Amino acid sequence: MGPSGSGKSTLMHCLAGLDSLTSGSAFLGDVDLSTLNERQLTILRREEVGFVFQAFNLIPTLSARENIELPLDLGDVDPDAPWVDRIIDAVGLRDRLDHKPAELSGGQQQRVAVARALASKPKIIFADEPTGNLDSKSSSDVLGFMRRAVSELGQTIVLVTHDPNAASYADRVIFLADGKVVDEISEPTAERVLDRMKRLA
Amino acid sequence: MTSPVVRLTVRGVLARKFRVLLTAFAIVLGVAFVSGAFMLTESVKDAINGLFDELQGDVDLEVRTRIAFGDEARAQRDPVPGSLVAAIAAVEGVRTVEVNILRQATIIKKNGKPLQTSGPSFGLAWYGTDGLDGRLVLEGREARGAGEVAIDKKSAERAGYALGETVPIVGPNGSGDFTLVGLTGTKTTEGGGGASVSAFDPATADAFLGTKGQVDSILVGLVDGASRGDVQDAVAAALGADTTDSPYEVITGDQSAKETAGAINDIIDIFGKVLLGFAAISLFVSAFLIFNTFAIIVSQRLRELALLRAIGADVSQIRMMILGESGIIGLLATALGIAGGVLVSKGITALFNATGAAFPSASTVISARTIAVSLLVGVGVTLFAAFVPAARAGRIPPVAAMRPEVGFSSLQRNKRLVFATSALVVGIVLLVVGLFTQPGGTVGILLAGAVGAVMIFLGVASLSQSVAAPVSRIVSNILPFPGRSMNKKTPGRIASRNAQRQPRRTASTASALMIGLALVSTIAVVAASVQATLRKALGTSITADFYATNSGFQGLPVAFADKLAQLPELGAVSPFRAANAQVAGESKSIGAVDPAMGELVDTDIQSGSFDSIADGAVLLHKDPAGDLGVAVGDIIDMTWQNGKITALTVGAIYADSSIVGNWLVSLDTLDAASSAPPLDFFIGAKIADGVDADAARSAVERVATEFPSAEVQDRVEFQKSQEDQLNQLLFIVYSLLVFAIAIAVLGIANTMALSVFERTREFGLLRAVGMTRRQLRRSVRWEAIIVSVFGASLGVVVGVPLGMAVATALPETFVDTLQIPFGTIVIILLASIVVGIIAAIGPARRAAKLDILHAITTV
Repeated sequence: MGPSGSGKSTLMHCLAGLDSLTSGSAFLGDVDLSTLNERQLTILRREEVGFVFQAFNLIPTLSARENIELPLDLGDVDPDAPWVDRIIDAVGLRDRLDHKPAELSGGQQQRVAVARALASKPKIIFADEPTGNLDSKSSSDVLGFMRRAVSELGQTIVLVTHDPNAASYADRVIFLADGKVVDEISEPTAERVLDRMKRLA
Repeated sequence: MTSPVVRLTVRGVLARKFRVLLTAFAIVLGVAFVSGAFMLTESVKDAINGLFDELQGDVDLEVRTRIAFGDEARAQRDPVPGSLVAAIAAVEGVRTVEVNILRQATIIKKNGKPLQTSGPSFGLAWYGTDGLDGRLVLEGREARGAGEVAIDKKSAERAGYALGETVPIVGPNGSGDFTLVGLTGTKTTEGGGGASVSAFDPATADAFLGTKGQVDSILVGLVDGASRGDVQDAVAAALGADTTDSPYEVITGDQSAKETAGAINDIIDIFGKVLLGFAAISLFVSAFLIFNTFAIIVSQRLRELALLRAIGADVSQIRMMILGESGIIGLLATALGIAGGVLVSKGITALFNATGAAFPSASTVISARTIAVSLLVGVGVTLFAAFVPAARAGRIPPVAAMRPEVGFSSLQRNKRLVFATSALVVGIVLLVVGLFTQPGGTVGILLAGAVGAVMIFLGVASLSQSVAAPVSRIVSNILPFPGRSMNKKTPGRIASRNAQRQPRRTASTASALMIGLALVSTIAVVAASVQATLRKALGTSITADFYATNSGFQGLPVAFADKLAQLPELGAVSPFRAANAQVAGESKSIGAVDPAMGELVDTDIQSGSFDSIADGAVLLHKDPAGDLGVAVGDIIDMTWQNGKITALTVGAIYADSSIVGNWLVSLDTLDAASSAPPLDFFIGAKIADGVDADAARSAVERVATEFPSAEVQDRVEFQKSQEDQLNQLLFIVYSLLVFAIAIAVLGIANTMALSVFERTREFGLLRAVGMTRRQLRRSVRWEAIIVSVFGASLGVVVGVPLGMAVATALPETFVDTLQIPFGTIVIILLASIVVGIIAAIGPARRAAKLDILHAITTV
């Protein structure tokens, strides 16, 4: 959580192995990301990290199911069928699996993106403003689904946002400002987050 | 730079330098071909005309025999009696009279092999530097007696001889040894303009070259101040040549030079036209590439263009901007193309010189015409190709600035199908009419064929949009192996989907490759059919055991056949000579043979007998017999080139003209009609009964050593050498088509690069969720392969029927069995996979190099 330019996305990119560090180190589990080469980083992203971006999350030429299974396919790993089934049911898109992204609503697209992130059972999912482009109804659908992924499926999710309402779905909120961690609250509500934000700004 | 349209146009070009360069390159190649063809032909013609001017020297008049029809320079002319010299010399105003003897004489190199030249190998009578012609002694002196020769400096060097050495030379009656006493040239050259020139003194020339007082023409030089017209009339009067009944005519030296140079210019023009034909193919393919590039660029700049519309640019300004960009590219490319043309011209000259041909050393001529045509073609093609994308750009609604999905409407599908189908149908009709009814001779056939082919290509290119997606799917299902297709893996699957994504783009990219490969398959079908026919003809039509041919196109000395006929080891021997004659007002090539030819060739006699030829009959093929409505026993009037008319009885009608052509008479019949110096095209011989093949062969070889320019082959060797010749021709044609294919490869690379650029976000996402660089490269590569295999399949589908049509239209002599070269087709398809891989190298590397962070944050 933090205002524009506070370094949220940069931190996320570093943690996810998308950006390289000029100093310091980033660990994913026991793995020091700075020691990995390009190929190892790619495999790490494929197997240990899930991504949900603000927009343009899906490959337009692939169906919803193919998008969900994409990281597994790329790694030549057979999908864990019961697991993928469970995710698909949880997203509630079983009847739209053969549709192309262009035939899905924005909210549905983001849910497919979350499902894809979950499919490979990654250690961690990074979601960068996943609801930034959605209306409030779709937003709460997507956030609700992510929340359930954490509580019911035991998935770790790092959500980057500047929307206090989105932040309220989290267990823990860390505040950034000008590239530094400045505060932290647990079991947040939208009001408390908004309060802190006002003070930071 | 005040107008915003101009400013935006220029900025637009500058912003996409790399793209511009790539697009321009296709046009550069095409223009280089066009301007190179012009430069080459003009330079060579310039040099040839200059050379002939020089060689003409002080020859004011020339006396020669008349011809009844045909081309003056290439006619088979009867000789002039040398005895006329005295009568001519007596005419007032005449200073000198020389005999002109110009016959074939091959120089044998130090290593015993005949000296190969691009032009003819001449032996001639020469009066030295002070003589009438413009030839000069460069070193040594002119030949002054039996056993002496002067050779043009370049040929002497190439053959490896220095002054004082002995040079074997083969003339029409056999070979002789001569001491090299002089090296000749002209004021500006040291060579013979592609020919080799062995100059003897007139008496030696007459003896060695076998003219026996019958010279080719007589050259006259006038005294200073004499009127050429008056003397011309006086000479004509002295010879009785002032009426057209006279066998002689008196022409000016200028006219003679012009005729000779003109004949060579014609050949160079044909050469130039062939180059232009390939230039046209390259430009046609380039047009596809430019069309495609601009179409993609316009769609990628949709928002920018819509924004311009939103802030007030009108439709025509947008269109001008796009057309202006293409105009700038066209101009740049044309400038580079003309520079490239110099290289093409010099390159081809160097290539010919390296093979010993030696064009006369020419400075490259860049005429205003060359530049004008290049500009017209280069800028014209570019503007034309960009026209549709520009029109489409104008249709972008301003609202697309905010909502890109609004996009632009394209030509309605139905309209396109109608347009494409009609283009295809018109093309096929034109082609079929052109090939089979043959209106307006060769020009008509070529024109109808070319326009028809272009229409077919355009039609198929446009129709192929409708099948691009399904065909891409099929291709991706069977590559690399059916059952283990690329679709099984994600990179392949993504490639397949991307190829199906914009059928229009896939189709027009593939179409560029289609053109080149369609032409290759057309030629492959025709070549295979010709080859099959040739093989059949050689297998069944020829019954001789040996053939002698000249490796050049100059014919064999007639003495060779005489000597072979004297060998006891051989049975039937016959040369094949050709002469021109008119039958029913049309010029025909008449073969003259010994009656023994009947044993050497199976002409498949339909009626009459071959032996009747010995009694002075004419034998002809059933086609001309049918056209003329003649049967055995009828009389045909034949007008020979010297004007003599002989009435010949039809002795036989035959069906197989593959070896001897349509008309045959005996050597005696020809000799009685024409005294033009004969040359044999080939000689056939049969081993005498009871003589074994090796003994016969060594006997023939022994005689052949006296005629090193002759190549003696048995049936298998002959067959192979004929096929080799065909293959050489094919090789040249294919090499020229490689340019069109290279442009198509460039087109695929260009489209792929643009697509990669367009899919930056997508590739960024793929990389983020775990696609390795190698997988991404593979994906781009597979897509390029799908596109090129699609293009190649279209090419084969269009080219094979085209080839079958052309092969069917060809006369039976060339093609009587239709053959489809399945091996070649498989090779074309496999090669297209390689084409895809090559085209994808750049774009794949570029895709793999994408910075993920940058890619996913690109809007």
